[in-house]
Amino acid sequence: MKFFFPDSQDQVDPSFDFITEERDPFRVRQRDDLYAHEVLQPAPFDGLLVSKAIVDGTAAASTGKYTVAQRHRLYRQGAQAFFRLNTGSTQLKIMGDCGAFSYVNEEYPPYTVDEVIDFYDGCGFDYGIAVDHVIFQYEPTVVRTDPRAAEWVRRQEITLTLAADFWKRCSARDVHFTPVGVAQGWSPESYADAITTLQRIGYKRIALGGMVPLKTYEILACLRAIDNVRNRNTQLHLLGVSRYEDIPTFTSHGVTSFDSTSPFRQAFKDDKDNYYTPKRNYIALRVPQVDGNAKLKKRIQSGEIQQDQALRLERTALQLLRQYDTGQVDADPVLEALQAYSAVWDGKSDRTAQYRQTLEDRPWRTCGCTICGTVGVEVIIFRGSERNKRRGFHNLYVFGQRLRAQLGKDDS
Amino acid sequence: MTRIRATARAADKNTPAGGAVQLLRVPALEIRQGPTRRLYTFAIDGKKVPQFAAVSRVRRDEQKQLHGYQRPEVLNHVAAIRRYIESDDNPLLPNAIVIAFDERVKFVPATTPGNEPEGTGYVRTGTLQVPINHLWEDVDKPGFIVDGQQRCAAIRDASVDAFPICVTAFITGEHADQRSQFILVNSTKPLPKGLIHELLPTASGALPTPLRVRQLPATVLERLNYDERSPLQHMIQTPTNPTGVIKDNSVLKMVENSISDGVLYRFRGDDALPNVGLMFTVLANFWTAVRDVFGEEAWNKPPRKSRLMHGAGVISMGFLMDAIADHHGPGEDLPDANEFAAALKTVKDDCRWTGGTWDFGDGVVWRWNDIQNTPRDIQRVTDFLLGRYRASLTTGNGRKAKRRR
Repeated sequence: MKFFFPDSQDQVDPSFDFITEERDPFRVRQRDDLYAHEVLQPAPFDGLLVSKAIVDGTAAASTGKYTVAQRHRLYRQGAQAFFRLNTGSTQLKIMGDCGAFSYVNEEYPPYTVDEVIDFYDGCGFDYGIAVDHVIFQYEPTVVRTDPRAAEWVRRQEITLTLAADFWKRCSARDVHFTPVGVAQGWSPESYADAITTLQRIGYKRIALGGMVPLKTYEILACLRAIDNVRNRNTQLHLLGVSRYEDIPTFTSHGVTSFDSTSPFRQAFKDDKDNYYTPKRNYIALRVPQVDGNAKLKKRIQSGEIQQDQALRLERTALQLLRQYDTGQVDADPVLEALQAYSAVWDGKSDRTAQYRQTLEDRPWRTCGCTICGTVGVEVIIFRGSERNKRRGFHNLYVFGQRLRAQLGKDDS
Repeated sequence: MTRIRATARAADKNTPAGGAVQLLRVPALEIRQGPTRRLYTFAIDGKKVPQFAAVSRVRRDEQKQLHGYQRPEVLNHVAAIRRYIESDDNPLLPNAIVIAFDERVKFVPATTPGNEPEGTGYVRTGTLQVPINHLWEDVDKPGFIVDGQQRCAAIRDASVDAFPICVTAFITGEHADQRSQFILVNSTKPLPKGLIHELLPTASGALPTPLRVRQLPATVLERLNYDERSPLQHMIQTPTNPTGVIKDNSVLKMVENSISDGVLYRFRGDDALPNVGLMFTVLANFWTAVRDVFGEEAWNKPPRKSRLMHGAGVISMGFLMDAIADHHGPGEDLPDANEFAAALKTVKDDCRWTGGTWDFGDGVVWRWNDIQNTPRDIQRVTDFLLGRYRASLTTGNGRKAKRRR
């Protein structure tokens, strides 16, 4: 089972100073920064999933996260050099896709098959997913002829037609990557139909799309329906699905790889599951920057809150957290400081009880990852991208451990 | 402290709560300006300013009445000044802080009228007497900072023992007067960017971080514009070279792109100083080749006559330079002008810098002068040029084909 991590230009800046919160002004983004696979040993994933929409943007909107200069360097040097894939102990793979979610509202995918092949081959990827169009709905009882399914059928047909075209063009152009078909559907039967067609075209690797919002039992229903038509050597990839507890079950249905950002994103998107440990998740301690919290900034600008007061509370909270880590104070004053500052920037939720657990268990002390080992208590502070992304990297590390445990792999 | 209390106190400034009022006496000059205007200028340790002057923050009270005028501190600006004061060997903040005092502040002339030093009808020496009381809240203080709140905050926060600064003060009982002075000092026009960029190569020391980062590209640009060996000599338009055809911004962008992600990155000098000489050499080689390949028709013409001299042309050609140099080899193994020219010839016939239509393969007819200096158009031209260049490599057109894998 291979885990791919979707690239969204998430790196950390090694020149960042946690006390002054300054960085080397001459640092060049991406080049001087570090990817998770450069920071952590072993690499927490088997490969990266790189989207055309992230790199190139779409024609309708420049949603790309890459600068023009970075984008051209990727094309010029190839993924191997750009993502520094062989700098860690594990040699990573690159899977390319179109980023269909970025154009889900369009009538038709904005990329031509040849453009997408240019992207995969030009960057030197290992796998390339055909152009697809996402079907958002899941209605297991709606049949193909039902008028409600008209739009879903249309999208599935687009996806399958493009997959046939993609296969043909890849063969004609003698590409260096492995083509991967995409099955889109709205029910177990429709997914199985798509698999049948894709296998007939010639695909031996097929990605399952549109499953992100599905419940685990719904995904399993689809996998069981697919089992009825799946060739023995067909390998499945789950797009955007990460349920490590279910991975062994998925494996028994021919799933050999999946991708997900959620271990990373939960570090700074989730309400409470921000910091992973092998046993449980913890909430991160929120100390937003006075300048970085939009709501607080507005209230200061309007004169409703005094800036110096907010700054004082922010600094006290940070100072006490560090003193707690070195054993100079106990948890209560830290919790009071966090609450006092929270009253200014949030004023609603009281997270004291959850914070107390995080503080008292000190999970960053017992974690064996490089991040926790080097930055200590800073990793648990919910504040600014340098801390939040490091916590995301740490989560990827733990996720990798959990995954290996699930698969019964030795983690020594 | 509630706002209502603050308002009540402000109305009754002469009887602030508690504590004995002391007088701070500072030597000062009084300068007569307008018929009834008196300006006072003096020096004081910046650390002491908060004792007698506050910042009047803009806000509305419960009745929606406007109070104050200052915005919050700009934290990264304050931090930049603070860093400068702390880390520079020899810091200098030459411009004065402006403070508005209320009528509790008095000027006592050193000389009695009719006995002034010669030649000064408008200035006299004396002592400024400023009441202070450590119990006062901000609104009770006799002074308000009209200009210089970021500098004052930086000195307040800096870990230095003292930092004397110049203060210019005036006395007024009117908030409206303070407000208009605040607007006047803060609505000046910033320097034009082009002038700043032209001054950067020969400036040193205390510059804000974004400008320090620009110093290297600006230095490279200056070499391209004034070095005799440069094919672009006198061709880049700057405030002191208004007849240049290429906008300074286009060249800066091209150089910056290459420093961050292209061939010039090799010479940025991780542990040493950047090698401007090698940066100049590779740029000069490349633009010499561009001039030779595209010839007089497209060269040194204003952008409305030649898109090669336009932002879209200059920037996209910069990316092509990076691609050719990367293909040539790593490190200091740089293509010379002839090698650049050989590579440029592979795309030459597809370029429409001065007339005709581009065939980007998207089915749209792009007339040569439809190309604008926008990110979208720059990307379009760049993708096209690089696509053609790559195609020439894989078909082995002229040069031996190299494949990455």
